[in-house]
Amino acid sequence: MIDYLYDGSFDGLLTCIFYAYNDKEASSIFREDTYHSNLFTTSKVISTEEDKATRVYTSIQKNLSHSTLSNVYYLYLSEYNDAETLILHYLRLCFKYTDKINLAKSNDVIRKVDLYAKRVGHEVHRFTGFVRFKELAPLMFYAQIEPDHFILPLLIKHFVNRFSNQSFIIHDLKRHVALIYNKKDAFLQNLSEEEHLKLMKAPQSDPFLDLFRTYYKAATIEERINIRRRNAFIPKRYFKHLGEL
Amino acid sequence: MDLNEKLKILSDAAKYDVSCSSSGSTRKGQKGNLGAAATSGICHSFTPDGRCISLLKILLTNYCIYDCAYCINRRSNDVQRASFTPQEIINLTINFYRRNYIEGLFLSSAIIKNSNHTMEMLLQVAKKLRLEEGFNGYIHMKAIPGASEELIHEAGLYVDRMSVNIELPSENSLKLLAPDKDKNAILAPMRSIGSQIISAKEARKTFKKAPLFVPGGQSTQLIIGATPETDLKILNLSENLYNKYNLKRVYYSAYTPVNTDSNLPELKTPPTLREHRLYQGDWLLRFYGFKAHELLSEEKPQFDIHLDPKCNWALNNLHLFPVEINKAPYEMLLRVPGIGIRSAKKIVISRRIAPLNYDDLKKLGIVLKRAQFFITCNTKYYGSTDIDDIQIRRKLVPQFEFEENIPYEQLSLFTLSSTTHNTSLLLNSTSAVKPLLLQDSLSALTGEL
Repeated sequence: MIDYLYDGSFDGLLTCIFYAYNDKEASSIFREDTYHSNLFTTSKVISTEEDKATRVYTSIQKNLSHSTLSNVYYLYLSEYNDAETLILHYLRLCFKYTDKINLAKSNDVIRKVDLYAKRVGHEVHRFTGFVRFKELAPLMFYAQIEPDHFILPLLIKHFVNRFSNQSFIIHDLKRHVALIYNKKDAFLQNLSEEEHLKLMKAPQSDPFLDLFRTYYKAATIEERINIRRRNAFIPKRYFKHLGEL
Repeated sequence: MDLNEKLKILSDAAKYDVSCSSSGSTRKGQKGNLGAAATSGICHSFTPDGRCISLLKILLTNYCIYDCAYCINRRSNDVQRASFTPQEIINLTINFYRRNYIEGLFLSSAIIKNSNHTMEMLLQVAKKLRLEEGFNGYIHMKAIPGASEELIHEAGLYVDRMSVNIELPSENSLKLLAPDKDKNAILAPMRSIGSQIISAKEARKTFKKAPLFVPGGQSTQLIIGATPETDLKILNLSENLYNKYNLKRVYYSAYTPVNTDSNLPELKTPPTLREHRLYQGDWLLRFYGFKAHELLSEEKPQFDIHLDPKCNWALNNLHLFPVEINKAPYEMLLRVPGIGIRSAKKIVISRRIAPLNYDDLKKLGIVLKRAQFFITCNTKYYGSTDIDDIQIRRKLVPQFEFEENIPYEQLSLFTLSSTTHNTSLLLNSTSAVKPLLLQDSLSALTGEL
C-alpha cells in the first residue's frame, strides 16, 4: 500500500491523481505537510508537474462534466483529512461508469462527495453574509474570518462584484491567507508571519459598529426570544468576528 | 436627538414587520458602483429571537395619523416618536452596506399627513439611493395604501420588492381594529403592482434594456391570532393572493400583544406554533402542489396542533397510500410525509440507475420516522404498524402533553402497591420529556386565553 503525498496545491493534487489513478497499490493521497506515516503503508512524494495536472483537468472537463470538476475543487477546498483520497475514489468511479454515476445518490462515495461539497458551498454562502468589514481608512476596508474550509477563492467573485468601488482585505486567520482587492484586481496572497501579525493589530473600533449593535438589539422581539434557534443559524464558532453578538 | 437614539426608536417600531427576505432580485452590480443583489438572498446576522437580519429594517417616521388597535405606533399610544431625514437613512444604509452588515434597505413608514405625502417621502429616499449614490443593493419598500397609482408605479422602478400589508385577514376585523383603513385601499395597489410586474417581465423578454419593475416581486403580511379568523380562511386568502395577484410571499405574524384594547384578545405568549403550521401549509401550497381545500375543510377549519399539515392530509386520505417508491410519479412522492422536494428529486434521479431499497432511502435523507407508514419499497411495506389512521396517529403524535402541569408524585420505596407504581411511572415518563417549542402554552396554540 502506498500513500501518495502532494505539496498542497490543486495542481499538485491533480498530478498525484494522474500517477495514483492506475496504481493498484495506491491507497490514499495526503498533504505532505500534515502527513503522519504509519506502519502498514509506504509513502511516495509526488512533485507538481503542470502538464500532467492540465491533462487531468481537461480530461475531467471534457469526458465528465463541469459539475464533476467543481465537485473535485470543492472537495479540495474542504481540507478534510480524507478529501483527497475521496477525490481519487470519486474520479475512478466517474471514469468507470461515466458522469451518470453522479445520479446514484445512494452510493457511499457519491454521498460523501455531495456532503463535503455541500458543506463547502454552504459555508461560502454563510460567509457572503458573515464577513464584517471595518473601515481602516476612507474606502479601505478590512475583515477577519476563521472559516472551517478554505473558502476565500470562492468568495472573490461575490465581493468584487458587490464592492467594486472600495478596496478591501479579507483575512483568513486560520490559513494566513488574505483576499486583497485594490479597486482594479483581486488576488489571494499568502501572508508571512510578520504581515499576519501586523494586520491583526489593525484598529478594531468603528462608529458604525456601535450603531449596528443598537440596531441588532432593537430588532429583537423580546416575547419571541429563542436562543437555540439563533445558534442553529450562526454556530458559536463564528461568533468571534461578528461584532454585534 | 442623536442618530443612535433615532435608530433605536425607529428600528424598534419596524421590527413587527416579519418580511426579511432579500431574494428574488436580479439587479446586477456595476463596476464603479456599490452593491448588487444576490438571487438567493443573504442573511447577515440573526437576532436572539431566531429571525434573520438581512435588510436594515426601519421606519422613516413613527408619527402616525392612524389608530390601528394592534399597532405599536398607533396615534393614541404614548411612545417616543422620531423621524429620520432622507439623508440620514442614506448614510446609514451606505455605511452599513459597505461594512457588509446588511443586504439593503427595508423602508417603511407610519402615515404622516396623508398617504401621498408619505409615499413621496419614501420615494425620495429610494430615488436618491439609486440615482445619486449609485446604490445597487436590495431595496424593499412599503407601498402605502391609498397613495396615488403614479407614485407607486414610480417607486416600483427603483425598488426590488414592494409590499402592502393586509394585516387583518377579513373586512370585519379590519373595521374593528383598523377603522381608518379599508379593504379596497389595500387591495388596489396590490392589484396594480401585480399587473405591472407581469407586463414589465414581458417587456424584458423583447427588449433587454426595458426598465426593471419590482424584480423581487411583492409580498404581504397577515397577523395571526388577533382576530377570530380560522386557518382555513387565512389559507384561502393566501391561495387567492398567490393565484390572482401573483404574490411572491405571504408572511404570517403571530400576534404579539403590544397594546391593550377591548377589541383585542389577551394573550400570554404569541401563537407561534399556529404561525408555524400556517407557514407549513403555505409551503405546501407553493411548492408541493396542494390546494387549500385539500388541507382544511369547513368541518375542520384549523390545523392540528400535534401533526403537521402534510401528515394530517395523508392520514385523511389513507386510501391513496402506500405509494411505491420505485414507481410513483414525482408529484405523488411530494405528497408523502417525510419526503421533501430535495429527497423527491433525489429519489427520481437515483431510481433511474437502479431500483432503490429501503436502506437506500435513509441514505437519501428521507425522514423514515414519518415516511415508513406511507410507502412501499419494491412492493414491501416496512412500517412499524398497520396502515391504520389511529395506529399511525399514535406513532406520530408527540409523546408529551403541551400543558406542563401534569401532576406526579414522588415514588416511595416502601408503600408501593402495584397499581400506583404503574401509574406514577407513566406520569413521570411523560413529564420528563419537555416540549422543545418555545414557551408555548395552550393559549399560544389556540390564540386564546
